[in-house]
Amino acid sequence: MKNSTDIHLSSAQQQCLSALLDTILPASEDGTMPSAGEMNFLVYLDEQAKDFMPAIVLVLDQLDENFTDAPLPARVARLEDMAKADKRAFNRLLLKIYDCYYQDDRVLMQIGALPGPPFPRGNVVEPGDLSLLDAVVARGHGYRR
Amino acid sequence: MAQTPENDPVDVLIIGAGASGAAVAWSLTDTRMRILCLEQGDWMSSSKYPSNGKNWEAQQTGAYHINPNVRGRDTDYPINNDASAIDVVNFNGVGGGTILYAAHFPRLHPSDFKVKSLDGVADDWPIDYDTLDPYFAENDRMMGVSGLTGDPMYPPKQPPLPPLPIGLVGETMAKGYDKLGWHWWPSDSAIISQPYEGRDKCINLGPCTSGCAQGGKSSTDITYWPQAIRSGVELRTRCRVREITLKEDGMADGVIYYDSEGQECSQKAEVVIMACNGVGTPRILLNSKSAQFPDGLANSSGLVGKNLMFHPVSIVQGLFEERLDSHKGPMGCCILSKEFYETGADRDFVRGYNMQIVRGSGPLATAMQGHATGTIPWGPGHHEAFRDRFDHVASIANVCEDLPEECNTVTLDPELTDSNGIPAPKITYRVSENSRKMLAHGLARGREAMEAAGAKEIVEVDLLRPAGWHLLGTARMGNDPETSVVNSWGRSHDVKNLFIVDGSIFVTAGGVNPTSTIQALALYIADTMKKNLANLFD
Repeated sequence: MKNSTDIHLSSAQQQCLSALLDTILPASEDGTMPSAGEMNFLVYLDEQAKDFMPAIVLVLDQLDENFTDAPLPARVARLEDMAKADKRAFNRLLLKIYDCYYQDDRVLMQIGALPGPPFPRGNVVEPGDLSLLDAVVARGHGYRR
Repeated sequence: MAQTPENDPVDVLIIGAGASGAAVAWSLTDTRMRILCLEQGDWMSSSKYPSNGKNWEAQQTGAYHINPNVRGRDTDYPINNDASAIDVVNFNGVGGGTILYAAHFPRLHPSDFKVKSLDGVADDWPIDYDTLDPYFAENDRMMGVSGLTGDPMYPPKQPPLPPLPIGLVGETMAKGYDKLGWHWWPSDSAIISQPYEGRDKCINLGPCTSGCAQGGKSSTDITYWPQAIRSGVELRTRCRVREITLKEDGMADGVIYYDSEGQECSQKAEVVIMACNGVGTPRILLNSKSAQFPDGLANSSGLVGKNLMFHPVSIVQGLFEERLDSHKGPMGCCILSKEFYETGADRDFVRGYNMQIVRGSGPLATAMQGHATGTIPWGPGHHEAFRDRFDHVASIANVCEDLPEECNTVTLDPELTDSNGIPAPKITYRVSENSRKMLAHGLARGREAMEAAGAKEIVEVDLLRPAGWHLLGTARMGNDPETSVVNSWGRSHDVKNLFIVDGSIFVTAGGVNPTSTIQALALYIADTMKKNLANLFD
């Protein structure tokens, strides 16, 4: 994981962050969805959410040294405790992780969306069957004067 | 004490460059009068709208948030919603609320103008649907409206452009409505389905409610304003009006405003037109106190700021087995049902509601909503739950008619101010018993519609709090100066060169999004002013 923010994480902190990301969004069992740890989360923070970096450091400080190597159920339990202790802070963390994850082109294509920003590519929408309106028209007008 | 800089006087001064200010400015250019509009916000740039970026959803939670208290741009003013069941949402800039609106563009119905006569509640309007009909049509042409002719719930009308695609969401819900024998119709939308007047058509970006990068959505900065400015109207941005000033004879003589540097300025005018909508307009009137008007300008009736109406909204969301592509296309413009719009003898409430089908959310909002509702976990199981929901959702927004009540108010907050020290508006609002029954009815009928359409799981929201888009009724029109603020063509009963053209003059709210009717009213008032120019103040 590239560390390009002004606040530099130690190697241990970076490993802890990877474990945190992989706990929030692990890779799918069928292998189609990457884990959040595979995203360039620090680059995302640097480019889009620099103000959030101190909050990340605070989160990492709360996780003890065993978190990184703990099995997934134990890491989930630890994060559940963290979420219970400060729901708003945890939701802010989740928002950033999801935001980074669901901007990734690989992820977007896997969920059936198109890669890149909506503009200028746009989307194709089915016209829909307007003959379904025949029944509505047959019932006549329903407004009052 | 520094002297307040004074600008050259103008014939007509319009306050606010949103939906109604743009329409009235354009219409009055026929008169060749000197017209100036003061707008507290900026011109917007389509290249900066969120949908230009991959992080478009995150931007909707910040600088493009619909709530000014969250958005916090320096062109916004704070709003105290603490005593309100619904939060006010808006936008301040050239285009006003049309910058962030969904562009769902239904007209009020003929019956909406006659609620006292038909249903024995509230009051009739001093004008009717037929009065506004030509202005609805003119506004549809100016804005660029897409829709399908033949809706049996309206008198005949012809939108200038064919309807937007209803998509899999619309078709799925339409089948449900057909099964129940209920009305539905493609929505009239202020979004162009074909190239129109130099603008390229909608390409189904999705996030209409954070500005349209394509320009397919008809916001007034790209419809009315370019034409009005070419015809000579001056539009001055970052000018925040504090108060309307008076001559000794009780006529308005202009305004005091703050420019972009925070400098207090004076602007004289022969005619002042308010176009700040149902919160901004009473705020300025109430802040314009004088010996002649100690309770606020044009307020001899005591009704300025009273009778605030929103449209309370309940939501029914359905989850479907099949993929609906619901993140694609204009979010708020799909189909609607007017099955319960008119008063029904078998119901425990009067008036009714519009069932607006809303398409689904983007991936970030889907994931966060799933977290909030406990339907999409973080951690193991996230991807499976997400796959089941993303693009598999359709929603019904029940847009309920609110009846006017004097206890629902906009007043001046005694402490909170904007960055220029102008008192912020304070909203006091409760949902009436009639509206509560209507909301509950909408939830039950919405569930029925979802089941008929084949939803496998249904979630209900009984009252959406961030739903105060439609700000109506706080300076109502009427023929009696004791029970209304302006007359049947928007002129203040008290101050004969002061006009109001925005949603604050609504007598009742109807049960549909009001922008089409607000703009038709503005065009009608402008036209009436033009017809009466020789004796405008008589």
